[in-house]
Amino acid sequence: MMQYQGLDNKFFIKLPEGVSINLVPAGIVVRSCAYLYDFFIRVIVFGLVAAILSFLGDAGQGLILIAYFIITWGYYIAFEAKSGTTPGKKRFNLKVVQDNGLPATLSNIIIRNLLRPADAFPFGYCLGIATMSFNKSYKRIGDWSAGTLVIYQENNVGTLLNSENTSQEEPPKIELAIDEQQAVIEFSERCKKLSPARQEELANILSEALNVKDESATNKLKSMANFYLGQKI
Amino acid sequence: MKQNQFVQLNEKRWQQFEALSVNSAGEEDMPAEFTVLYRQVCNDLATARTRHYSPALIAKLNEFVSTGQSILYQGEGIKIGSLLRLFKQNFFRSLFENRYYLWLSVGAFYGLALLAYFWVRFDPDAVYYFLDVESIKDIEKMYDPAGSVQTKERSSGSTVLMFGVYIYNNIGIAFQMFGGGALFGVGAILPLLFNSFYFGAISAHIVNIGYESTFFSFVVTHGSFELTAIAIAGAAGAKIGFSLLMPKQYSRAYALKTAGSSVLPLIVGAFIMLLIAAVIEAFWSPLDIPNVFKYSAGAVCWFYVLLMFYRGTRYGHN
Repeated sequence: MMQYQGLDNKFFIKLPEGVSINLVPAGIVVRSCAYLYDFFIRVIVFGLVAAILSFLGDAGQGLILIAYFIITWGYYIAFEAKSGTTPGKKRFNLKVVQDNGLPATLSNIIIRNLLRPADAFPFGYCLGIATMSFNKSYKRIGDWSAGTLVIYQENNVGTLLNSENTSQEEPPKIELAIDEQQAVIEFSERCKKLSPARQEELANILSEALNVKDESATNKLKSMANFYLGQKI
Repeated sequence: MKQNQFVQLNEKRWQQFEALSVNSAGEEDMPAEFTVLYRQVCNDLATARTRHYSPALIAKLNEFVSTGQSILYQGEGIKIGSLLRLFKQNFFRSLFENRYYLWLSVGAFYGLALLAYFWVRFDPDAVYYFLDVESIKDIEKMYDPAGSVQTKERSSGSTVLMFGVYIYNNIGIAFQMFGGGALFGVGAILPLLFNSFYFGAISAHIVNIGYESTFFSFVVTHGSFELTAIAIAGAAGAKIGFSLLMPKQYSRAYALKTAGSSVLPLIVGAFIMLLIAAVIEAFWSPLDIPNVFKYSAGAVCWFYVLLMFYRGTRYGHN
């Protein structure tokens, strides 16, 4: 089930389709942010509903209580059952899935959200945070019981063809192992997100081996990457 | 095959898959070629991994596969129908599966209520050990036969208000007990015993001061659903907690997960029972009609609830 992870906290999960996909579980900070985001939405929605209903006298009071009940217990269940995310989770690119990576079912969602009182014990989700920090997949008690994970939803990672620098390609003078080749390729792919100064700083680590420095080191690495990718066949 | 060649060869298919997955997200029916493309993308991901293509390509294909499977295996969403189905299909099975917890919980709940009842009945001042004077006065005022608050003709507004209170309060308590149960059962058992003792002591006090006819005619009908549902929610919570204390031959993680899915129909059932109880409590119990109707309705409800509870825990079906 587990493959070599390197530094990344990735889960490899085997699918019935005969291939494994990797999931990246979301940590405490990003999930707390998503919680706060949802919390403010709930407060605002409840405030609006209560303000409108308060004009209806006694019946309005009763409806406010019902609205409060639905917003406290139903908000997460309704949103997560619909798409696996809540507005807050969506904002931070998070998603609830089952342990095996499949979309969570209604039963999973109900269990994980009804167990919130245990995670919130004694206040401010203390127990939930403690439980999350003691396991690699950052599950709180509700997640353990429902068999769910909160993962990052990766959207539009990179473009497929390395279209830059098509002209430059050069067979490296040294033989590199596969891991090292992949590191070079990954560097060239990450370059799009890095400032030129940072690119050079990273490339300069190899300046002795490459015999060049700064911008030419970056370019050399990029052209090596192009060679490994097989820009021209 | 070099990576770029692989990409050029398959890129068109991936674009087609991406377009289809954007269109068919959330749809009931998806085009037949979607599954075919999905399987091919799975194959591509496996190929890319074994050939050690670049991490970005693998990440991209990984993303394709995970969107594809989330579309293929999408959940049913939240519908009243699916909740009802969960209740109808699994509630009685779950009653049977957890029968020892349920018998214990119902027994402890009504047993302790009876104990408190007799205690306060024989020692009327004992009620002041458990409750402060203010809340006792409030309760006395509520069930005072002369101008009883509960049975007085209510405006429709205050009926809705009380309905809201029952939903918010009773179902909230049941959910809290279910969730709190994960704390080794403590969060379920303490509120269960507290509520039963409180209920027993109050009923005895009401009888002691002679208000029993307003009190019992009010509580008898909805009490059947409400009290039993609270006991069921307590049993469900306690089972989750005990699965952590006594995981038997399983790991704690697995025991907790199994306990969760085993008791889920119980809490859904308790939720539905409490909804029924709230409707009865708000719209039927305060009606100003002769008590004989209320007692007959109460008898029917108690008989029905206890029969279903017995059949469920005994045979696993209704």
